[in-house]
Amino acid sequence: MTRSEILEASKEIIYESVPELEGQPLDESTVINTDTGIDSMGFTLIMCRLEARFDTKIPDRQWQKLNTLGDVVSAFEKRMA
Amino acid sequence: MRFDGFLSMLEYWAGRAPEAPALRFARGDAIETMSRAALAGRVRARADALRASDAACIGILCDGSAENVVEIFAAAQAGLQAVMLDAGASDALLAEQIAAADADRLWGDPELVEALSPALRRQPIARTGDILFFTSGTTHAAQAVALTQASLCASAWNGGALLPLSEADTLLCLLPLNHVFGFVCGLLWGLSCGACVALGRGMRHYADDCAFFRPTALPAVTMLLAFLVRAGALNGELRLVLIGAGACPRPLIDQVKATGVRVSFGYGLTETSSGVALSLGDDPYAMTVCPEDAVTLAEDGEILVSAPTCVMRGYYKAPEATAAALQGGLLHTGDLGRLDDQGRLFVTGRKKEILVLRDGTKIFLPEYEARLAAALPGRDFAVIDRDGEPVLAIRGEPAERAEITAAIEPATRDLPRGQRPAGILFLDGPLPRTATGKIKRWEIQQKAVEA
Repeated sequence: MTRSEILEASKEIIYESVPELEGQPLDESTVINTDTGIDSMGFTLIMCRLEARFDTKIPDRQWQKLNTLGDVVSAFEKRMA
Repeated sequence: MRFDGFLSMLEYWAGRAPEAPALRFARGDAIETMSRAALAGRVRARADALRASDAACIGILCDGSAENVVEIFAAAQAGLQAVMLDAGASDALLAEQIAAADADRLWGDPELVEALSPALRRQPIARTGDILFFTSGTTHAAQAVALTQASLCASAWNGGALLPLSEADTLLCLLPLNHVFGFVCGLLWGLSCGACVALGRGMRHYADDCAFFRPTALPAVTMLLAFLVRAGALNGELRLVLIGAGACPRPLIDQVKATGVRVSFGYGLTETSSGVALSLGDDPYAMTVCPEDAVTLAEDGEILVSAPTCVMRGYYKAPEATAAALQGGLLHTGDLGRLDDQGRLFVTGRKKEILVLRDGTKIFLPEYEARLAAALPGRDFAVIDRDGEPVLAIRGEPAERAEITAAIEPATRDLPRGQRPAGILFLDGPLPRTATGKIKRWEIQQKAVEA
């Protein structure tokens, strides 16, 4: 998958998981907590769905370091390379 | 039953029914069981090995596994000082906590242990037998609270006296063991009552662990419970949910009760080895004080706790902070409350500048704001509570959102996710302050609600 495909798939899952965000633009610079209000449980749910979608596991300890949507995309891009 | 140590607790129940299940946990897609006798035997053997080692303080990188449980109990039984660490925390925070607690050995994921080894102490301290839990504390920023096997067991007995579990119960532990609420209510409460404790499979399985383990009792923090309810994840066998480590909104409690599950709400602190009071009746906020504790109120309404068997030995290597929190044998909690005519406790707010988050953790606001101040020089701002999440309230225009978000991002990215700002509230004038310059957080919070 290309980086932009991972980004688009990630956005789709975020919108599905948090319908209240529908219409709010998301891009790689989006800070997950501050810009979207997604809490740590919400983030866990989204990461689980992304892992299932991409059939790729991101190590638990790395989750803590994922701050922006771009960080999430990079994590999957690197593991899927 | 009342116990003064972990091994005596395990041996008591092993003596009654050695093959009865003590722990259940996943191995692949199957559930494995560790019997009472096996658990007691493994703790005894590991304690012997630790006693014979030259370790004095072991940092335990908690992952919630059965081996993790054995290591905690064994370290205490061997008389080592054990410090409970969150294996998911950042390397920087873990290194800081390892050094602060004087750990000279680590237990946990080998890769992480190796990465953190440079933070270990070279010259071991004297063994204390204490168990250290990190907390934001009532008087200061993050620090270690020194508890003992006896205080933790007394706290578990307190809980079991008011909310008994039976040998037929399965208690599901989804909470981290490095958090005193998770350790006491997710583990000791069950084991001290002879119930089986099911160890959750980690964050990837929050939504399906209830269906997997079929628990009858579940301790939860508000954020976790809200998640489970939203996901429709509570199982039919569940009969009791114990909510702790922070406030919980009434609608969520009512939603759980509507499914026929009894909901109890607990109040406690790390400094009291967890629970001080639990709600037993219909009103989840009316809490009966635990039998080992006594609660009084200071003139300003601050909750003062006398808990001779459960109270901490002190903040680790912080005698001044200990003296400030423990005055005349009373723990000054920093929480405000009232007592009704039946002596039931109602928590009404916070006296000190600590924000209790929905995930059960706390942040010490002056320290948190100092961290942001470096990223926002010259800006008029404060951090406020919005439904248990920290929100940055700042004088400025919404058009500045991207700039401010970018400015604070490097300063907050190392914080645990639940402690990072969950939003920005823009105020068009100066932040309201008292005559002495203290920020009127309540007034700003009202604006946040209106916004």
